[in-house]
Amino acid sequence: MITVTIDGREIQTEPGKTILEVARANGIYIPTLCFLEDLLPIGACRLCIVEVDGYDQPQPSCVQVVTDGMNIRTTTEKLLEMRRDILKLLLLDHPLDCPICDKAAECKLQDLVYELGYDRAIAEGSVGVPMLHKPPVKWSTIGINYFPSRCVACQRCVHVCLERVGCGVLEAGKEDGTPRIFPAHPEKCIACGECLSVCPVGALTEAVSPLKARPWEKTKTKTVCPYCGVGCVIELNVASGQVIKVTTDEAVPPNYGTLCVKGRFGFEFINSDKRLTKPLIRQGGSFREVSWDEALNYVAKKLKEIKEKHGASAIAGLCSARCTNEDNYVFQKFMRAVIGTNNVDHCARL
Amino acid sequence: MTIEGNEIRREMILNMGPQHPATHGVLRLLLHLEGEVVKKNIPIIGYLHRGVEKLGEHRTYLQNIVFTDRLDYTASMCNNLSYALAVEKLCGIEVPERARVIRVIMAELQRIAAHLLWLGTYALDIGAMSVFFYCFREREKILDMFEMISGQRLTPSYICIGGVRRDITDQFLEALRVFCDTFNDYVRDYENLLTKNPIWVERLKDVAVLSAEDAINWGTTGPVLRASGVKFDFRRATPYCGYENYEFDIPIGTKGDCYDRYLVRVEEMRQSNRILKQAMKDIPDGPIMADVPFITLPPKDQVMNNIESLIKHFKIAAGLFQVPKGEVYSSIENPKGELGFYIVSDGSSKPYRMRIKSSCFVNLSALPFMTQGCLVADLIAALGSIDIVLGEVDR
Repeated sequence: MITVTIDGREIQTEPGKTILEVARANGIYIPTLCFLEDLLPIGACRLCIVEVDGYDQPQPSCVQVVTDGMNIRTTTEKLLEMRRDILKLLLLDHPLDCPICDKAAECKLQDLVYELGYDRAIAEGSVGVPMLHKPPVKWSTIGINYFPSRCVACQRCVHVCLERVGCGVLEAGKEDGTPRIFPAHPEKCIACGECLSVCPVGALTEAVSPLKARPWEKTKTKTVCPYCGVGCVIELNVASGQVIKVTTDEAVPPNYGTLCVKGRFGFEFINSDKRLTKPLIRQGGSFREVSWDEALNYVAKKLKEIKEKHGASAIAGLCSARCTNEDNYVFQKFMRAVIGTNNVDHCARL
Repeated sequence: MTIEGNEIRREMILNMGPQHPATHGVLRLLLHLEGEVVKKNIPIIGYLHRGVEKLGEHRTYLQNIVFTDRLDYTASMCNNLSYALAVEKLCGIEVPERARVIRVIMAELQRIAAHLLWLGTYALDIGAMSVFFYCFREREKILDMFEMISGQRLTPSYICIGGVRRDITDQFLEALRVFCDTFNDYVRDYENLLTKNPIWVERLKDVAVLSAEDAINWGTTGPVLRASGVKFDFRRATPYCGYENYEFDIPIGTKGDCYDRYLVRVEEMRQSNRILKQAMKDIPDGPIMADVPFITLPPKDQVMNNIESLIKHFKIAAGLFQVPKGEVYSSIENPKGELGFYIVSDGSSKPYRMRIKSSCFVNLSALPFMTQGCLVADLIAALGSIDIVLGEVDR
C-alpha cells in the first residue's frame, strides 16, 4: 500500500493505479473527454490534467501512475484556465450544429462547456466566421454517418475498434491540417457500431432511423435482444410510438455495453409496413384477407385432418425469433402437448 | 320578493356577471338586494382560473415569463419585471445599468397605458363615452412603441431574466420623446371632460368610501390604498431598478372614495410621464443583458456566430441548467398595486413553487366591505374604481 495526497486528502491505495483511477475511486471528480474505463488510457484530450509536485508541467491523470508520497492537486486556478483553453481549442472549429445535431443535450462537449464555465475568454476565441454545417462523409458502414467537422479527435472510436472489437478499422489522421478519423480498413469493419456508441459528440450518428428525438422526448425501455442466444441487454429508445434507436447499459451483463450489428441496427422490422397484421388464407394463387375466427377454424380443421390421416409427425411448427419469449413458449407447448410432435423449429440463427 | 310562510321577505338575489360588461372580465357578483340597496355582495371568482402557479412548476424559469404576461394583461411589462426581479434575486444577478433604465421606461409606459385603459372603460361604465376614445388613442401610441421594440402589443415578454430582450432603437426614442412632450396636454383634456363634470362628480363623490385604517386592514395596495390617504408606494418604500434616482410625487387622496381614486390615477399618469422624461434624458450605454453563465440568454447575434453561445442558448432553452436553491419574495408597484412573486427553488431549472401575490385579488376582497348598503348603480362605480383584472385575480 502507498499513500498519496489528492487535494489535501491522504489516500491509501495500491501501487500501479493511475491518478484518475484513484481519484474516481475516492469520489474526487476530474473532468475527462476521451477516457473510457475498460480501455487503455488514450490521453488525447488532456482535460484530465492535474498538478503533481515535482513536475514542471501538469500531468494527464489518466496516464500518470501514482507513486508513494505523491502530492496531487486537481482543481487549481491554473488547471481550470488550462482546461478552458483546451476546450476553446476544441470549440474553435466546431460548427454551429447544436440545433440539428442528434447528440445535442447528451453531448459531452456541451456538458463540458456548462461545467467548466461559459467564459468571455472562451467566447472570444471563436467570434468571427461562423462554422457552418457540412454534410456527412462516408464511414466504413452504411449504418453510421460521420461528420468530420463535429469531430473532436478524442480517438475513442479508434481505440474501441482496436481493443474492444479487435478489428482495427479506424485510424486517426489529418485532412487539410485538421485532425479527423479515417476508416482506413473498411474491409475489416463488421458494422457493430461500437464506435458510434462511444462517440462523445455528434460526429458519429446513427443513420438507420428516419425519426430522431431529443432525450426528454424519448423513453428508454430495457429488454433482451431478440436475435441470437447470448441474450444481450438492450435499451429501446422510443419516441412517438416508434423505436428510433437501440442503446445498451454498460453496467449489465452479459454484454456490458457492447452490441453487435444486429442488436444495434436491426430494429427496422418493428415498424416495417411489410409485416403481416391480418390473417390471410391462400386461395388459388392469391391471398384472401379473413377474420381471426375464420382463420383459426380453418387451421384447426386442417391440422385435425392431417393428424388423423398421417399422424402427428406429419406436422411441423416454425415460429419466429421476432415473437416474444412467452409467445414462443406457448407455441412449442402447443406443438408438443396438443399436436403431439417434437418438430418445432425457429429462426434463431438470424 | 319572496314569501316564506306568513313572512314577506323583501330581499332579492341577483347575479351580476360573469357576462356583464361592467364587471370587466368574468367576475360574478352575487347581490342580495332590497329594492335598489345592496344588502350583501359576494364576489364569486375563478372563471378565469388557468392554474398559472401550478403551470409554473412545470415550466423552466425562462418559459414562465410568457405566463406572467397573461396575469394582468393590461400591464404585462410590469408583470415581466416583477417576475424577472424575483428570479434575479434568487440567482443573485446584477442587471446592467442600461437595462435598468430601459425597464423603468417600459414599466412607466405600461403604467400609463394601464391607467388609460382603466380611465376609458371606467368613464364608459359611468356613461361618459367620449373619454374612452381619447384614452385609447393615447394607449394605442404606447402599444405601438411596445410593438416597435418587442414585436408584440399586449404580451411583449420583453423584460426577461437578466435584462431586456432587445435594445431600444432611435425610432423608439423619438416616439417616446413625442409622447412625453404631448402627454400632459392630453391628461388635461381628460380632466377637462371629467374632473368638474357635475354628473361625474355626483356619481363618484362619497361612493364606496374606504378609510385609511380600513384600507390598511384589508391589505389593499396601489391607487386604492393611496386614495384613502396612505402615502405608500413600492417604488419609494423598497426601490428597485433605480427608482430612488428619479424625482416623483406620490399622489394621495383625502377621503378614499371613487372620486379620489380617479384623481390619484390621473395624477399618477402625470408622475409617470415625469419619470419617463428623467429616464429618457440620460440612458447609459452598455449591455442590455447580464452575462450569467447558463441562466441569462446570450445575445442572438452571438448565438448565430459562435458555438459557446449556441451551446449556452441550447442548454437554457432545453432547461438543462441549475439555479441556486432557496426561496425569495420580491414585489413591485404594478399599476394596480403590489405584484409579488414568491419562488421556492430546489436547485433545478423549474421552480418548486411559484406563488403570485396579486393586488387585484386583495383589492377585490375589500369590495363587499366598501359597498355595504350602497345602491346598485353605485356598485358599478365602486367596482370600476378598484380597477381589477380577472386574469390576475384568478391567475
